[in-house]
Amino acid sequence: MTGPTVKVLVIDDEPQIRRALGLNLKARGYEVVQADSGETGLRAAAEERPDLVLLDLGLPGIDGIGVIEALRAWTNVPIVVLTVRDEESSKVAALDAGADDYVTKPFGMAELLARLRAALRRSADVEVDQPEVSTASFRLDLIGHRAFVGTEREEVRLTPTEWSIVKYLVRNPGRLVTHRQLVTAVWGQSYDPDPNLLRVHMGHVRRKLEPNPATPAYFITDSGVGYRFDSGVVPHQLRE
Amino acid sequence: MTRGALRIYLGAAPGVGKTYAMLGEGVRRTERGADVVVGVVETHGRQLTAERLEGMELVPRKSVEHRDTMLSEMDIDAILMRRPDVVLVDEYAHTNAPGSRNEKRWQDVDEILNAGIDVISTVNIQHLESLNDVVARITGTVQRETVPDAIVRRADQIELVDMSPEAIRRRMAHGNIYPPERIDAALSNFFRPGNLGALRELALLWVADRVEESLNTYVAAHGISGAWETRERVVVGLTGAPDGDMLIRRAARMAGRVGGELIGVHVVSDDGLSHHVDENLLAQRDLVVALGGTVHDVVGHDPAAALVGFATNERATQLVIGSTQRSRWHELWHGSFVGRVTRLANQLDIHVIARPESDRRSTTHRRQHVIRPEIDTRRGVVAWILAVAGLPSLTAALDGMSDRLELSTILLMFLTLVLAVAAIGGRIVAAFAAVSASLLVNWYFVEPRNTFTIADGENVVAMVVFLVVAVTVGSFVDLAARRSIEAHRARAEAAILARSAASLVADVDPVPSVLEQIRRTFGLTSARLISLDGPTPSTLAESGDATPGGKVVQVDIRPGPNGVRRQLDIEGGALTADDHRVIRILADQLAKAIDTQSLALEAAEATALAGVDAVRTALLRAVSHDLRSPLATIKAMVSGLLEDDVSWTPDQLNEALETIDEETDRLNRLVGNLLDASRLQIGALAVHLTPTSLVDTTNAAVQNLGREANRVEIDVPEDLPFAHADSVLLERALANLLTNACRHSPASSPIRVTAGRVGDRLNLCVIDRGPGIPASDRGRVLAPFQRLGDTNTIDGVGLGLSIVQGFIEAMSGQFTMDDTPGGGLTVTLSLQVAEDCERR
Repeated sequence: MTGPTVKVLVIDDEPQIRRALGLNLKARGYEVVQADSGETGLRAAAEERPDLVLLDLGLPGIDGIGVIEALRAWTNVPIVVLTVRDEESSKVAALDAGADDYVTKPFGMAELLARLRAALRRSADVEVDQPEVSTASFRLDLIGHRAFVGTEREEVRLTPTEWSIVKYLVRNPGRLVTHRQLVTAVWGQSYDPDPNLLRVHMGHVRRKLEPNPATPAYFITDSGVGYRFDSGVVPHQLRE
Repeated sequence: MTRGALRIYLGAAPGVGKTYAMLGEGVRRTERGADVVVGVVETHGRQLTAERLEGMELVPRKSVEHRDTMLSEMDIDAILMRRPDVVLVDEYAHTNAPGSRNEKRWQDVDEILNAGIDVISTVNIQHLESLNDVVARITGTVQRETVPDAIVRRADQIELVDMSPEAIRRRMAHGNIYPPERIDAALSNFFRPGNLGALRELALLWVADRVEESLNTYVAAHGISGAWETRERVVVGLTGAPDGDMLIRRAARMAGRVGGELIGVHVVSDDGLSHHVDENLLAQRDLVVALGGTVHDVVGHDPAAALVGFATNERATQLVIGSTQRSRWHELWHGSFVGRVTRLANQLDIHVIARPESDRRSTTHRRQHVIRPEIDTRRGVVAWILAVAGLPSLTAALDGMSDRLELSTILLMFLTLVLAVAAIGGRIVAAFAAVSASLLVNWYFVEPRNTFTIADGENVVAMVVFLVVAVTVGSFVDLAARRSIEAHRARAEAAILARSAASLVADVDPVPSVLEQIRRTFGLTSARLISLDGPTPSTLAESGDATPGGKVVQVDIRPGPNGVRRQLDIEGGALTADDHRVIRILADQLAKAIDTQSLALEAAEATALAGVDAVRTALLRAVSHDLRSPLATIKAMVSGLLEDDVSWTPDQLNEALETIDEETDRLNRLVGNLLDASRLQIGALAVHLTPTSLVDTTNAAVQNLGREANRVEIDVPEDLPFAHADSVLLERALANLLTNACRHSPASSPIRVTAGRVGDRLNLCVIDRGPGIPASDRGRVLAPFQRLGDTNTIDGVGLGLSIVQGFIEAMSGQFTMDDTPGGGLTVTLSLQVAEDCERR
């Protein structure tokens, strides 16, 4: 890790897990700030201006969702949620509220570090509209709405809806996008489509772009939660 | 010389303030000019008592030598010589040092009293001989110093010094009773709220007994015989009259003055004489209930007899009725209601309350609407007299002028008389009058006279018509009367049914009250509802006591929804067919009430089951959360160490391994607790009760605490007898309590473990100075898999305390939680002393 040190705010009410995270993150060159409740966490976020927030969902007092909402009111700092409540509802609620990603306890340190790096990288990306996205399997011209696949770079045609989905996902690389966020982006706020509709469209996108649509490598499903686009540009970082 | 007067202050427990009260009385008498000295007072080092003693004259104590120790006792001779008016002598039950003149202090007091000196003394309830064993059973402490009850009862005045258990404990906690070092032990042993409550009750009962005793003496001395009710019952007759409210309030005041019971009675008349259900009556029923009384209905032909009968049956002492509403003429004709009640009642105080003048006119006015169309005995008699006397008179009157009258005129005159008789007396007397009249007319007025022969055919027709008309009119009068009686009965029944329906709707458990209503309304000895479900009939509810061998009538009830057969057994009472019909209707209502209840019960069970499912889900979530928390830390730490991207310093490595170690222990503890809890829940806990040393077990449990061990202060006497316990379970229970106490109290405050013997039990207390648990939360804390505060993950699934309770109860011990004086939680484990091993 080079460059200025990255500051991570860990908000968790359990001293043991804070200690474990602190040890590991410090050993890897991060600067760690700790808070044991939602209230102290919010105060620390304002005072310390962390580069990333690691947040436990089951907090006494203000719960995790409340903390996300309060943070999102004034900052775009990446938030990775830690939870032992592995029910979909709380994860989805956290992501809908504006969290970037989640990790379920118990987690491996490698996985957590990879998620942290992905989240940090996203925030480093300037929010410019990239004209083009290239992967090993396909190239997308986001302005001209043209897609080329395979080594031969044959052109495939995507419908306007499929383009909307693909554009939203590739412009949030590595980020877990919930079903609702995607639907809102594609069809608008008030639209309430059949949940299967999104699945069908994703199926078409995969058939057209993925080298092996049965085991997608780029448009990855987080079942029950949403989808994540993995460009494969930094494969070594996501390897476990 | 007259004997001095003895006044005793009786205390329910040590520390209620007997001595203080005695000294106060001494001060008062001094102020009134009496010569008061203190014979002996034990201050027990209590500040307030010592202050009270200041300025009072003390008679110096006498020293008595006993086996090389000097004991000080009250100096009787000095007191007798000093000759004060009043002597204060503390501790009436005290045993004097051996070698004293008298064995007991009360004997000393006797001497002083005999010298004509008044004595004020004190005694605690546990020192009374008759209560000695009871007190020992309750408190586990045997009192060696006792005084015979008779000696205390001999006192001229006994005054109870009473204080609520909470107040005593508060005084104790403030250090008003014992020095600080003894407070903890005293609060958890003798001064437990249960003990204090029981002692207080004993003291109150003992004094109440004495009051009863003096009452009995009074009764005997004044030659009062018969039923003497200590609890007064005041019965008030309800009529619905406008002055009824006043009557009820008067009766309630009478009952209130003597602490008695108020009973309102409404006589539901079955002949309708004075019966009218109206708004007034309903309001009056409500008023009685509002004043704390009960309302009952009695069916009776004669209101006076029914009222007195009810009052006698209920062993009432006072009967309150209103002054008569009837006119003087009415009274002359029917007899006075008040008079009848007075004649019928013996051993009852009858209160006749006069009505205010303004009410009288309105009732008189209302009386015009009262219709009396039926035939009662009195009217029958009048009709017979009219028939027997009237017919010969009419015959005699007409005989003189028969030549001037047509037969038809004569017949019409006789017909008028017969109709009058029929209208008053009904069919039978009408028939008699008609036959007699026709015979008389035939004999005296029809040609040929003085024979029963009728010459003229037309006359035969006239005679027949005469007879038919008379009998027909009589029948109609009869029928009208019967209809009217039926209508009134129906109204009375409707009133009863309406009331029972009301109580079916209003009561949570209406069955007993409806049964009671049936029993009282029909004057039954007993009524019981029996289920015929199963091999032997079982009683569901009953009212009144069945007389053995009494005549029981069985009333069938509609079977319930699942075919359960039931019946109502009633006994006593003279029941008509109509009564049976009403009882059957009421029984059906009862059955419906029971069915409704069982349905409600099923619904409640279903709700409870749904609740259980919700609890189970919450539990699974909590367990998975609590198990995963340490797992998450371990996994994060281990996987972090496994990554080869960084090199760890020895310090970091050490901290990482320590974290893993602690979390593994925590996980292990949690799994152990879960296992214990499930064993307790399915009753699969193996308990081996052996004589167990509390000292060893406590030490072992504290050792296992690891780092926290030095926070624990152990105060367990070495010479304590063994407890009848399972040493493994007891150690686990203690370990749980200690872990809990360490977690919840600030690191600076010590955790104390104390032990002591109370009777045949050993009490082991774990005392912390943490936040404590509010009494209202204690039950919840003990429910397995519950914890205080939802997302707090510190103490596992909150199993700790419930497991301790489970373990202790499995060893036939008792688990109690109390506040530590000054804040914190004190858990007391009470165990049996091992019998075969009283002493080590």
